[in-house]
Amino acid sequence: MKSSNSAKINIIWHRRIGLSVFLLLIFLAISGFALNHSPALKLNKISLSNSWLLSWYGLEKPLIRGFKLDEKWLYENGNNLLYVNKQAVAPCSAPLFSVAESTNILFALCADTLHLLTENGQLLESFSQLDGLPVDARAISSVDNTLYLITDASVLEFNSESLDLKPAAIDPASLNPLTAQLPVPESLEQQLENSGPSISLETVILDLHSGRFFGQFGVLVIDIVGLLICILSITGLLAWINRLRQIKQ
Amino acid sequence: MFNSLYKNLFNNLLSKVVFAGLLTTTLLASPQLSAKGVYQSGPDFVAEVFAPQQPEAGVLWLNKSIRQEAEKILGRKVLGLRVRYHQSAGKTAWILNEIGKEMPITIGVVIDQGKISSVKILAYRESRGGEVRYPAYMAQYQGATLTDRYKLDKSIDGITGATLSVWAVNKVAALALYYHSQVMSQPESTK
Repeated sequence: MKSSNSAKINIIWHRRIGLSVFLLLIFLAISGFALNHSPALKLNKISLSNSWLLSWYGLEKPLIRGFKLDEKWLYENGNNLLYVNKQAVAPCSAPLFSVAESTNILFALCADTLHLLTENGQLLESFSQLDGLPVDARAISSVDNTLYLITDASVLEFNSESLDLKPAAIDPASLNPLTAQLPVPESLEQQLENSGPSISLETVILDLHSGRFFGQFGVLVIDIVGLLICILSITGLLAWINRLRQIKQ
Repeated sequence: MFNSLYKNLFNNLLSKVVFAGLLTTTLLASPQLSAKGVYQSGPDFVAEVFAPQQPEAGVLWLNKSIRQEAEKILGRKVLGLRVRYHQSAGKTAWILNEIGKEMPITIGVVIDQGKISSVKILAYRESRGGEVRYPAYMAQYQGATLTDRYKLDKSIDGITGATLSVWAVNKVAALALYYHSQVMSQPESTK
Protein backbone atom coordinates (compact mmCIF):
# COMPACT_ATOMS: atom_id res chain seq x y z
CA MET A 1 0.00 0.00 0.00
CA LYS A 2 2.81 2.35 1.03
CA SER A 3 4.79 1.37 -2.04
CA SER A 4 1.78 2.03 -4.31
CA ASN A 5 1.40 5.53 -2.79
CA SER A 6 5.04 6.41 -3.32
CA ALA A 7 4.80 5.14 -6.91
CA LYS A 8 1.81 7.42 -7.48
CA ILE A 9 3.66 10.40 -5.97
CA ASN A 10 6.66 9.57 -8.13
CA ILE A 11 4.52 9.51 -11.28
CA ILE A 12 2.77 12.77 -10.34
CA TRP A 13 6.07 14.56 -9.83
CA HIS A 14 7.54 13.02 -12.97
CA ARG A 15 4.61 14.44 -14.96
CA ARG A 16 4.77 17.85 -13.26
CA ILE A 17 8.50 18.21 -13.82
CA GLY A 18 8.19 16.91 -17.38
CA LEU A 19 5.45 19.42 -18.17
CA SER A 20 7.35 22.31 -16.62
CA VAL A 21 10.60 21.74 -18.47
CA PHE A 22 9.60 20.16 -21.77
CA LEU A 23 9.65 23.43 -23.78
CA LEU A 24 13.00 24.47 -22.36
CA LEU A 25 14.34 20.96 -22.85
CA ILE A 26 13.43 21.04 -26.55
CA PHE A 27 15.02 24.49 -26.87
CA LEU A 28 18.21 23.32 -25.11
CA ALA A 29 18.40 20.29 -27.39
CA ILE A 30 17.98 22.36 -30.57
CA SER A 31 20.35 25.14 -29.47
CA GLY A 32 22.92 22.57 -28.29
CA PHE A 33 22.71 20.84 -31.67
CA ALA A 34 23.15 24.19 -33.45
CA LEU A 35 26.18 25.08 -31.30
CA ASN A 36 27.76 21.66 -31.89
CA HIS A 37 27.50 22.23 -35.63
CA SER A 38 28.21 25.96 -35.54
CA PRO A 39 31.18 25.90 -37.98
CA ALA A 40 29.17 23.91 -40.54
CA LEU A 41 26.12 26.13 -40.11
CA LYS A 42 28.41 29.21 -40.19
CA LEU A 43 26.61 30.71 -37.21
CA ASN A 44 29.66 32.81 -36.32
CA LYS A 45 29.49 34.46 -39.76
CA ILE A 46 25.92 35.65 -39.31
CA SER A 47 26.04 39.11 -37.75
CA LEU A 48 23.05 40.59 -36.01
CA SER A 49 22.90 44.36 -35.63
CA ASN A 50 19.30 44.83 -34.58
CA SER A 51 19.16 47.95 -32.41
CA TRP A 52 17.11 46.21 -29.69
CA LEU A 53 19.64 43.36 -29.51
CA LEU A 54 22.59 45.78 -29.45
CA SER A 55 21.04 47.79 -26.61
CA TRP A 56 20.34 44.52 -24.73
CA TYR A 57 24.06 43.77 -24.95
CA GLY A 58 24.91 47.31 -23.90
CA LEU A 59 26.23 48.30 -27.33
CA GLU A 60 25.28 51.46 -29.12
CA LYS A 61 25.04 51.93 -32.84
CA PRO A 62 27.41 54.85 -33.38
CA LEU A 63 26.32 57.87 -35.28
CA ILE A 64 28.11 57.67 -38.60
CA ARG A 65 29.84 60.89 -39.54
CA GLY A 66 31.70 61.80 -42.67
CA PHE A 67 32.50 64.43 -45.27
CA LYS A 68 30.43 65.76 -48.12
CA LEU A 69 32.47 66.44 -51.23
CA ASP A 70 30.74 67.38 -54.49
CA GLU A 71 27.46 65.66 -53.64
CA LYS A 72 29.37 62.57 -52.50
CA TRP A 73 29.53 61.37 -48.95
CA LEU A 74 32.83 59.89 -47.82
CA TYR A 75 32.82 58.20 -44.44
CA GLU A 76 34.20 55.36 -42.34
CA ASN A 77 31.37 52.99 -41.49
CA GLY A 78 32.41 52.09 -37.93
CA ASN A 79 33.91 48.80 -39.12
CA ASN A 80 37.09 50.23 -40.67
CA LEU A 81 35.72 50.45 -44.20
CA LEU A 82 35.77 53.59 -46.32
CA TYR A 83 32.49 54.27 -48.08
CA VAL A 84 31.66 56.58 -50.94
CA ASN A 85 27.90 57.01 -50.74
CA LYS A 86 26.58 53.43 -50.46
CA GLN A 87 29.67 51.73 -51.83
CA ALA A 88 32.48 50.27 -49.71
CA VAL A 89 35.69 51.16 -51.52
CA ALA A 90 38.69 50.38 -49.30
CA PRO A 91 39.81 49.36 -45.82
CA CYS A 92 40.15 52.47 -43.65
CA SER A 93 41.47 52.44 -40.10
CA ALA A 94 39.40 54.88 -38.09
CA PRO A 95 39.33 57.80 -37.87
CA LEU A 96 38.85 59.23 -41.33
CA PHE A 97 40.78 62.44 -40.72
CA SER A 98 40.14 64.44 -43.83
CA VAL A 99 39.12 64.41 -47.51
CA ALA A 100 40.03 66.59 -50.47
CA GLU A 101 39.70 66.78 -54.24
CA SER A 102 42.43 67.69 -56.67
CA THR A 103 42.93 67.11 -60.41
CA ASN A 104 39.85 64.87 -60.67
CA ILE A 105 41.09 62.67 -57.86
CA LEU A 106 39.39 62.33 -54.50
CA PHE A 107 41.69 61.85 -51.51
CA ALA A 108 40.66 60.29 -48.21
CA LEU A 109 43.10 60.33 -45.31
CA CYS A 110 42.46 57.47 -42.86
CA ALA A 111 44.49 56.86 -39.70
CA ASP A 112 47.27 54.99 -41.50
CA THR A 113 46.54 55.30 -45.22
CA LEU A 114 45.86 57.94 -47.83
CA HIS A 115 43.45 56.58 -50.43
CA LEU A 116 43.29 57.95 -53.95
CA LEU A 117 39.90 57.57 -55.63
CA THR A 118 38.46 58.41 -59.00
CA GLU A 119 35.65 60.94 -59.29
CA ASN A 120 33.23 58.01 -59.36
CA GLY A 121 34.56 56.77 -56.05
CA GLN A 122 36.61 53.85 -57.39
CA LEU A 123 39.86 53.14 -55.58
CA LEU A 124 42.88 54.10 -57.66
CA GLU A 125 45.53 53.10 -55.15
CA SER A 126 46.52 53.51 -51.54
CA PHE A 127 49.54 55.18 -49.98
CA SER A 128 50.20 53.73 -46.55
CA GLN A 129 52.63 54.43 -43.73
CA LEU A 130 54.70 51.53 -45.06
CA ASP A 131 55.01 53.41 -48.36
CA GLY A 132 56.13 56.61 -46.65
CA LEU A 133 52.99 58.32 -45.35
CA PRO A 134 54.03 60.21 -42.19
CA VAL A 135 52.66 58.68 -39.00
CA ASP A 136 51.51 62.10 -37.80
CA ALA A 137 49.55 63.02 -40.95
CA ARG A 138 46.38 64.71 -39.71
CA ALA A 139 44.74 66.48 -42.66
CA ILE A 140 44.84 67.10 -46.40
CA SER A 141 44.01 70.18 -48.37
CA SER A 142 43.95 71.04 -52.04
CA VAL A 143 45.10 74.42 -53.33
CA ASP A 144 45.43 75.13 -57.08
CA ASN A 145 45.22 71.42 -57.93
CA THR A 146 48.07 70.58 -55.58
CA LEU A 147 47.47 68.34 -52.62
CA TYR A 148 49.04 69.26 -49.31
CA LEU A 149 49.49 66.87 -46.43
CA ILE A 150 49.39 68.47 -43.02
CA THR A 151 51.30 66.68 -40.27
CA ASP A 152 51.78 67.66 -36.64
CA ALA A 153 55.14 69.18 -37.51
CA SER A 154 55.02 70.34 -41.11
CA VAL A 155 53.17 70.70 -44.42
CA LEU A 156 54.15 68.44 -47.32
CA GLU A 157 53.30 68.55 -51.00
CA PHE A 158 51.97 65.26 -52.35
CA ASN A 159 52.41 64.18 -55.94
CA SER A 160 49.51 61.90 -56.83
CA GLU A 161 51.32 60.50 -59.89
CA SER A 162 54.63 59.51 -58.32
CA LEU A 163 53.31 59.35 -54.72
CA ASP A 164 56.27 61.50 -53.67
CA LEU A 165 56.22 63.85 -50.72
CA LYS A 166 58.32 66.98 -50.44
CA PRO A 167 58.32 69.97 -48.09
CA ALA A 168 55.75 72.48 -49.25
CA ALA A 169 56.49 76.11 -49.94
CA ILE A 170 53.11 77.38 -48.82
CA ASP A 171 51.84 79.32 -45.88
CA PRO A 172 49.98 76.81 -43.66
CA ALA A 173 47.44 79.55 -42.88
CA SER A 174 46.32 79.57 -46.51
CA LEU A 175 45.26 75.91 -46.27
CA ASN A 176 41.70 75.15 -45.40
CA PRO A 177 41.49 71.40 -44.77
CA LEU A 178 38.16 69.67 -44.44
CA THR A 179 38.35 68.02 -41.02
CA ALA A 180 34.98 68.67 -39.39
CA GLN A 181 32.80 65.63 -39.92
CA LEU A 182 29.04 65.90 -40.38
CA PRO A 183 26.42 63.26 -39.59
CA VAL A 184 25.74 61.10 -42.64
CA PRO A 185 22.15 61.50 -43.93
CA GLU A 186 19.73 59.04 -42.38
CA SER A 187 18.64 57.71 -45.78
CA LEU A 188 22.25 56.68 -46.46
CA GLU A 189 22.84 55.27 -43.00
CA GLN A 190 19.76 53.06 -43.17
CA GLN A 191 20.93 51.43 -46.36
CA LEU A 192 24.28 50.50 -44.92
CA GLU A 193 24.99 46.90 -44.18
CA ASN A 194 27.51 45.67 -41.64
CA SER A 195 28.02 49.10 -40.18
CA GLY A 196 28.80 49.61 -36.53
CA PRO A 197 28.89 46.92 -33.88
CA SER A 198 27.23 43.56 -34.39
CA ILE A 199 26.84 40.29 -32.51
CA SER A 200 27.22 36.89 -34.10
CA LEU A 201 24.27 34.52 -34.09
CA GLU A 202 26.54 31.95 -32.44
CA THR A 203 27.08 34.26 -29.45
CA VAL A 204 23.35 34.89 -29.08
CA ILE A 205 22.51 31.15 -29.24
CA LEU A 206 25.30 30.33 -26.79
CA ASP A 207 24.07 33.00 -24.38
CA LEU A 208 20.49 31.75 -24.70
CA HIS A 209 21.64 28.14 -24.23
CA SER A 210 23.54 28.99 -21.06
CA GLY A 211 20.93 31.46 -19.80
CA ARG A 212 23.48 34.31 -19.76
CA PHE A 213 21.29 36.22 -22.21
CA PHE A 214 18.99 37.02 -19.27
CA GLY A 215 21.80 37.70 -16.82
CA GLN A 216 22.24 35.91 -13.51
CA PHE A 217 18.52 35.12 -13.38
CA GLY A 218 18.75 33.24 -16.69
CA VAL A 219 21.76 31.25 -15.50
CA LEU A 220 19.85 30.32 -12.33
CA VAL A 221 16.84 29.18 -14.39
CA ILE A 222 19.04 26.99 -16.62
CA ASP A 223 20.72 25.58 -13.47
CA ILE A 224 17.29 24.70 -12.06
CA VAL A 225 16.24 23.17 -15.37
CA GLY A 226 19.41 21.06 -15.31
CA LEU A 227 18.57 19.92 -11.79
CA LEU A 228 14.98 19.16 -12.78
CA ILE A 229 16.22 17.10 -15.75
CA CYS A 230 18.29 15.03 -13.30
CA ILE A 231 15.23 14.54 -11.07
CA LEU A 232 13.14 13.76 -14.17
CA SER A 233 15.49 10.99 -15.20
CA ILE A 234 15.49 9.56 -11.64
CA THR A 235 11.68 9.67 -11.33
CA GLY A 236 11.43 8.16 -14.81
CA LEU A 237 13.73 5.32 -13.76
CA LEU A 238 11.75 4.78 -10.54
CA ALA A 239 8.49 4.72 -12.50
CA TRP A 240 9.93 2.10 -14.81
CA ILE A 241 11.09 -0.03 -11.82
CA ASN A 242 7.67 0.29 -10.15
CA ARG A 243 5.98 -0.78 -13.34
CA LEU A 244 8.27 -3.82 -13.59
CA ARG A 245 7.35 -4.74 -9.97
CA GLN A 246 3.63 -4.43 -10.72
CA ILE A 247 3.97 -6.68 -13.76
CA LYS A 248 5.83 -9.29 -11.67
CA GLN A 249 3.17 -9.18 -8.94
CA MET B 1 67.67 6.58 4.35
CA PHE B 2 65.22 5.49 1.64
CA ASN B 3 62.99 8.43 2.45
CA SER B 4 65.73 10.96 1.81
CA LEU B 5 66.72 9.12 -1.40
CA TYR B 6 63.15 9.27 -2.71
CA LYS B 7 62.90 12.91 -1.62
CA ASN B 8 66.05 13.81 -3.58
CA LEU B 9 64.88 11.89 -6.62
CA PHE B 10 61.47 13.57 -6.46
CA ASN B 11 62.98 17.05 -6.07
CA ASN B 12 65.37 16.39 -8.95
CA LEU B 13 62.55 15.16 -11.20
CA LEU B 14 60.30 18.06 -10.21
CA SER B 15 62.96 20.65 -11.02
CA LYS B 16 63.54 19.01 -14.44
CA VAL B 17 59.83 18.96 -15.22
CA VAL B 18 59.48 22.61 -14.20
CA PHE B 19 62.51 23.56 -16.34
CA ALA B 20 61.17 21.62 -19.35
CA GLY B 21 57.78 23.27 -18.89
CA LEU B 22 59.28 26.75 -18.75
CA LEU B 23 61.45 26.04 -21.81
CA THR B 24 58.47 24.75 -23.81
CA THR B 25 56.35 27.73 -22.80
CA THR B 26 59.12 30.14 -23.80
CA LEU B 27 59.63 28.41 -27.15
CA LEU B 28 55.92 28.32 -27.88
CA ALA B 29 55.40 31.90 -26.84
CA SER B 30 58.44 33.46 -28.55
CA PRO B 31 57.27 33.23 -32.20
CA GLN B 32 53.89 34.62 -31.18
CA LEU B 33 55.45 37.55 -29.40
CA SER B 34 57.71 38.37 -32.28
CA ALA B 35 55.26 37.55 -35.09
CA LYS B 36 53.59 40.96 -35.41
CA GLY B 37 55.45 43.94 -36.75
CA VAL B 38 56.76 46.06 -39.57
CA TYR B 39 60.14 44.72 -40.64
CA GLN B 40 61.00 47.01 -43.51
CA SER B 41 59.40 50.00 -45.20
CA GLY B 42 58.53 49.90 -48.89
CA PRO B 43 61.14 52.50 -49.96
CA ASP B 44 63.87 50.70 -47.95
CA PHE B 45 62.94 47.37 -49.57
CA VAL B 46 63.14 48.88 -53.07
CA ALA B 47 66.45 50.61 -52.31
CA GLU B 48 67.92 47.36 -50.97
CA VAL B 49 66.74 45.32 -53.95
CA PHE B 50 68.18 47.60 -56.61
CA ALA B 51 71.25 48.98 -54.78
CA PRO B 52 73.40 50.61 -55.97
CA GLN B 53 71.18 51.43 -58.95
CA GLN B 54 68.27 53.82 -58.89
CA PRO B 55 65.19 51.96 -60.21
CA GLU B 56 62.43 53.51 -62.29
CA ALA B 57 58.98 53.70 -60.76
CA GLY B 58 56.17 52.37 -62.92
CA VAL B 59 52.43 51.92 -62.79
CA LEU B 60 50.53 48.93 -64.10
CA TRP B 61 46.93 49.81 -64.90
CA LEU B 62 44.60 46.94 -64.16
CA ASN B 63 42.47 46.71 -67.27
CA LYS B 64 39.58 44.27 -67.46
CA SER B 65 41.59 41.24 -68.57
CA ILE B 66 44.47 41.81 -66.12
CA ARG B 67 41.97 42.32 -63.31
CA GLN B 68 40.13 39.10 -64.18
CA GLU B 69 43.32 37.04 -64.15
CA ALA B 70 44.50 38.73 -60.95
CA GLU B 71 41.19 37.91 -59.30
CA LYS B 72 41.54 34.29 -60.39
CA ILE B 73 45.00 34.11 -58.80
CA LEU B 74 43.91 35.72 -55.54
CA GLY B 75 40.47 34.15 -55.45
CA ARG B 76 38.92 37.45 -54.44
CA LYS B 77 38.09 40.90 -55.77
CA VAL B 78 41.15 43.05 -56.50
CA LEU B 79 41.08 46.55 -55.02
CA GLY B 80 42.55 49.51 -56.87
CA LEU B 81 42.77 50.48 -60.50
CA ARG B 82 46.56 50.62 -60.65
CA VAL B 83 49.54 48.88 -59.07
CA ARG B 84 52.89 50.52 -58.48
CA TYR B 85 56.20 48.78 -59.09
CA HIS B 86 59.89 49.54 -59.53
CA GLN B 87 62.08 48.20 -62.29
CA SER B 88 65.56 48.15 -63.65
CA ALA B 89 67.01 45.98 -66.44
CA GLY B 90 64.30 43.33 -66.58
CA LYS B 91 64.00 43.17 -62.82
CA THR B 92 60.80 44.33 -61.11
CA ALA B 93 59.91 44.75 -57.43
CA TRP B 94 56.33 44.59 -56.18
CA ILE B 95 54.85 45.38 -52.78
CA LEU B 96 51.48 43.70 -52.40
CA ASN B 97 49.06 43.03 -49.58
CA GLU B 98 47.11 39.87 -48.96
CA ILE B 99 44.99 38.75 -46.02
CA GLY B 100 46.47 35.85 -44.08
CA LYS B 101 43.76 34.87 -41.65
CA GLU B 102 42.24 38.20 -40.72
CA MET B 103 44.87 40.87 -41.24
CA PRO B 104 46.78 41.90 -44.37
CA ILE B 105 50.37 40.74 -44.81
CA THR B 106 52.57 43.14 -46.78
CA ILE B 107 54.88 41.17 -49.03
CA GLY B 108 57.73 42.37 -51.24
CA VAL B 109 58.41 40.23 -54.31
CA VAL B 110 61.33 40.68 -56.72
CA ILE B 111 61.10 39.15 -60.20
CA ASP B 112 64.19 38.90 -62.36
CA GLN B 113 63.91 37.70 -65.96
CA GLY B 114 60.53 36.06 -65.28
CA LYS B 115 61.68 34.16 -62.18
CA ILE B 116 61.27 35.00 -58.53
CA SER B 117 64.51 36.43 -57.23
CA SER B 118 63.37 37.02 -53.65
CA VAL B 119 60.30 37.25 -51.44
CA LYS B 120 60.24 39.18 -48.19
CA ILE B 121 57.57 39.86 -45.57
CA LEU B 122 57.63 43.59 -44.94
CA ALA B 123 54.81 43.74 -42.42
CA TYR B 124 53.03 40.96 -40.57
CA ARG B 125 49.93 41.84 -38.60
CA GLU B 126 48.52 38.47 -37.51
CA SER B 127 49.28 37.27 -34.00
CA ARG B 128 50.26 33.76 -35.18
CA GLY B 129 51.93 32.21 -38.19
CA GLY B 130 54.77 34.73 -38.46
CA GLU B 131 57.21 31.88 -39.19
CA VAL B 132 56.63 32.50 -42.91
CA ARG B 133 58.94 35.49 -42.74
CA TYR B 134 62.07 33.47 -41.89
CA PRO B 135 64.66 33.72 -44.70
CA ALA B 136 65.10 29.92 -44.81
CA TYR B 137 61.43 29.57 -45.63
CA MET B 138 61.36 32.47 -48.11
CA ALA B 139 64.35 30.95 -49.96
CA GLN B 140 61.99 28.26 -51.29
CA TYR B 141 60.45 30.80 -53.66
CA GLN B 142 63.73 31.58 -55.43
CA GLY B 143 63.64 30.58 -59.08
CA ALA B 144 59.89 29.88 -59.13
CA THR B 145 58.03 30.74 -62.32
CA LEU B 146 54.37 30.84 -63.27
CA THR B 147 52.62 27.87 -64.86
CA ASP B 148 49.96 28.26 -67.56
CA ARG B 149 47.34 27.95 -64.83
CA TYR B 150 48.85 30.88 -62.92
CA LYS B 151 50.31 28.73 -60.15
CA LEU B 152 53.90 28.56 -58.93
CA ASP B 153 55.84 25.82 -60.70
CA LYS B 154 57.62 24.90 -57.44
CA SER B 155 56.10 23.07 -54.55
CA ILE B 156 56.29 25.21 -51.42
CA ASP B 157 56.42 23.43 -48.06
CA GLY B 158 53.65 24.32 -45.64
CA ILE B 159 54.11 25.44 -42.03
CA THR B 160 51.95 23.99 -39.29
CA GLY B 161 49.87 26.77 -37.77
CA ALA B 162 50.67 29.18 -40.60
CA THR B 163 48.77 27.54 -43.46
CA LEU B 164 46.75 30.64 -44.36
CA SER B 165 49.85 32.86 -44.29
CA VAL B 166 51.67 30.41 -46.59
CA TRP B 167 48.72 30.43 -49.00
CA ALA B 168 48.72 34.24 -48.92
CA VAL B 169 52.45 34.38 -49.78
CA ASN B 170 51.98 31.80 -52.56
CA LYS B 171 49.16 33.84 -54.08
CA VAL B 172 51.10 37.10 -53.90
CA ALA B 173 54.20 35.46 -55.41
CA ALA B 174 52.09 34.14 -58.31
CA LEU B 175 50.38 37.53 -58.72
CA ALA B 176 53.72 39.37 -58.84
CA LEU B 177 54.93 36.94 -61.53
CA TYR B 178 51.75 37.60 -63.50
CA TYR B 179 52.02 41.39 -63.12
CA HIS B 180 55.70 41.17 -64.16
CA SER B 181 54.75 39.28 -67.31
CA GLN B 182 52.19 41.99 -68.11
CA VAL B 183 54.73 44.77 -67.60
CA MET B 184 57.29 42.98 -69.77
CA SER B 185 54.75 42.39 -72.54
CA GLN B 186 53.75 46.07 -72.68
CA PRO B 187 55.37 48.32 -75.28
CA GLU B 188 58.24 50.37 -73.84
CA SER B 189 56.39 53.64 -74.37
CA THR B 190 53.47 52.67 -72.13
CA LYS B 191 55.55 51.57 -69.13
